[in-house]
Amino acid sequence: MDEKLEKLKKEYMDVPIPEELDSVVKKTLKENRLNNVNKKSKFKKIKIAVTSIAAAFIAFTIGINTSAAFAATLSKVPVVGSIVKVLTFREYTVNEGTFNSNIKVPAVQGLENKTLENSLNEKYLAEGKKLYEDFEADMKKMEASGGGHLGVDSGYEVKTDTDRILSIGRHTVNTVGSSSTTMKYDTIDKKNEILITLPSLFKDDSYVDVISENIKKQMVEQNKADSDKYYWVAGIEKDSSMELFDKISKDQNFYINPDGKLVISFDKYEVAPGYMGIVEFVIPTDVLSDILVSNEYIK
Amino acid sequence: MGEINLAEEFTNYVIKNEEKFYRLAFSYVKNADDALEVVQESTYKAISTIDSLKTPEYLKTWFYRIVVNTSIDLLRNRKKVMVVDDKTLSNYDFGMVDHYADIDLQKALENLPIQYRSIIVLRFFEDLKIEEIAAILDENINTIKTRLYKSLKMLRIQMDD
Repeated sequence: MDEKLEKLKKEYMDVPIPEELDSVVKKTLKENRLNNVNKKSKFKKIKIAVTSIAAAFIAFTIGINTSAAFAATLSKVPVVGSIVKVLTFREYTVNEGTFNSNIKVPAVQGLENKTLENSLNEKYLAEGKKLYEDFEADMKKMEASGGGHLGVDSGYEVKTDTDRILSIGRHTVNTVGSSSTTMKYDTIDKKNEILITLPSLFKDDSYVDVISENIKKQMVEQNKADSDKYYWVAGIEKDSSMELFDKISKDQNFYINPDGKLVISFDKYEVAPGYMGIVEFVIPTDVLSDILVSNEYIK
Repeated sequence: MGEINLAEEFTNYVIKNEEKFYRLAFSYVKNADDALEVVQESTYKAISTIDSLKTPEYLKTWFYRIVVNTSIDLLRNRKKVMVVDDKTLSNYDFGMVDHYADIDLQKALENLPIQYRSIIVLRFFEDLKIEEIAAILDENINTIKTRLYKSLKMLRIQMDD
């Protein structure tokens, strides 16, 4: 028996330690200790992560498919119907061993309102460029300190494209151990060619509370139906040290889905543990009907 | 100021033993990404609730407990784990002998229900005392002893040809 246990112990002790471990632990300690002293303990998730061999492989494959050929194909990817289009404007790809990035910058085309079109496109380009520059800087830093794994993947998807509404979602995934994902949306009224903001949909600020209450209700209901659906919200999370979801922000991420329903989106770790990923809540229109400016967009 | 010192002590302890806790987490979740996430989440939970730790001597078992619980939570959330009651367990104990006769050691350990596997890991791989394990798993000492005996028996049954 002893011999067998020895063998098991050896296997246990032989688990490879990821080189990111030390920096993840130190960073978590440092950032959250400061918060602790300030008595404001919001869990700061560090965007540092190990990349498994599998993930590296995938990135490698993408790299091959995209590298040289991609510059040529940054051409038109007409995702949207007739006049207003979203296409890939620029692509940044890095594929150097353990460092991988793939950043696709979208561009909107075909709007008459050039001020809107330009301001969106300039924003997309600036963000894409910043991501790429940050990635390069991190990569250099990591190389200097003996290497590591780093990945960034950013792209976009058209969430809704109807006669009236165009909703574009842009995602960014940072991989340095565990991954973090953020999502940003823009919703355009194609007819009037204006950018729709969340406050602009409502008569006054009461939408913040109305929507927040509805989301909290949905969270608890989902959890009751399926205990795997876990949110950091009163009624589910019992650990008092966790910061609980209270309210959406005034300019919370949102889009309008093809059925004309308002969808509120939260980034990974924003209101739920990492395994839940990005979470979205469709807000029933009858909850909003009293406070909507009109039913033009939301139906 | 005692608080600050405790936080200091904890910081040193975790940094010194981070590999240990990573291995422990890995023994539950079985992959590097999740193990790292467990260590990170545990460290966060500990440092942000360190005030609640009234007796500094318990620092070690307290943190072990956080890591074990966080690992099990993660597994539970991913539905990779089955909760087995004692009755089912005893069937398992006697009925599986033939089927598991020739699987390797590692498999035999992994086939143990989680509350039994924890004890083997903590006792033999982490070299903790029975009393410490009882504190970590929040069970009384006799329960731990019984389970330890039972899990060794189960392992032997599974491993012996």
